[in-house]
Amino acid sequence: MDDDALLARARDGDGAAWARLVDEHSPLLWAVARSHGLHDADSGDVVQTTWLRLVESIDTVRDAGAVRVWLVTTARRESLRVVRLRGRALPVARPAEPSAAGAGAVGPSAEPAPDRVVLDRDRLGRVGTALQELPLRCRTLLRLYALAPTYKELAAALGIPLGSVGPTRARCLDTLRRLLR
Amino acid sequence: MNDDELMAGVRDAFTVLDPVPGDVLAAGRAALAWRLPAATLAGLTLERTVGAARGTRGGTVRTLTFTCPDATVEVEVAEAGRFRELTGRIVPAAAASVAVRHRDLPPDPAGARVEPGGLFCLPEVPAGLVSLVFRLDGGASVVTSWAHV
Repeated sequence: MDDDALLARARDGDGAAWARLVDEHSPLLWAVARSHGLHDADSGDVVQTTWLRLVESIDTVRDAGAVRVWLVTTARRESLRVVRLRGRALPVARPAEPSAAGAGAVGPSAEPAPDRVVLDRDRLGRVGTALQELPLRCRTLLRLYALAPTYKELAAALGIPLGSVGPTRARCLDTLRRLLR
Repeated sequence: MNDDELMAGVRDAFTVLDPVPGDVLAAGRAALAWRLPAATLAGLTLERTVGAARGTRGGTVRTLTFTCPDATVEVEVAEAGRFRELTGRIVPAAAASVAVRHRDLPPDPAGARVEPGGLFCLPEVPAGLVSLVFRLDGGASVVTSWAHV
């Protein structure tokens, strides 16, 4: 069942269909919050707020295939709101600057400390281990790309022009491939 | 390794490195329970912050305006420690009750009466994500979009 069908069922009060939407797309919304440098509590707040906003707009989000772009756009807006609010208190949480440079548009990411990465190496696999060696902006972009595979979704998540998504993604993928060789 | 396999590897790695916490997923699943299908949604159309209000300790006052085709709700938010005082009015004035929706409050609050002139005051609203429901005596209801206070 695709997103549109699940949303139609949720609109009719089907909690199981709603739960499937939430389980499937929360990792993407969480990644959007992380890409803005938000920590656990703020990221959780962004994800929850995004789902509440979909509930209140559930009757108006009806364009075929548009649910994910809507969710990503909303999560980015909520993330930027938190970044503005925290601006002075948390210097690490600066908004990603939209720019034609593309790759430079990805902000800092609140990821687990490197020591945890070492502990998890067995579970990370080859790709996960290589990811650790990528620059943060590429790691963040590939994470979003893995979860939001259309350019439209990725552009919405990053707040960068559609045209700069492809080249940026290609550069990061090339770097990852080189590390895997 | 093709692109799809690479991306699957990236997804798997972040599932290990930085999974969505269980309580965040649970809150997302629970969000559907906040749906009020019969209520008209009043969206946030204007947000302003003005200087420190008299009577508060250096806090600022925010004004939020929510609009739907048949009504406008203006809310002034004043900080008081962990709580917020929400005062405002609904235009046009109507005989109605107003209730606060907040994840830390019971899901179906009784609410307070809206005073003549459409005025209302909600003195001890916990900080956080809040939505107001106006139940008009005529049977219709208006719900404001979720807003951080």
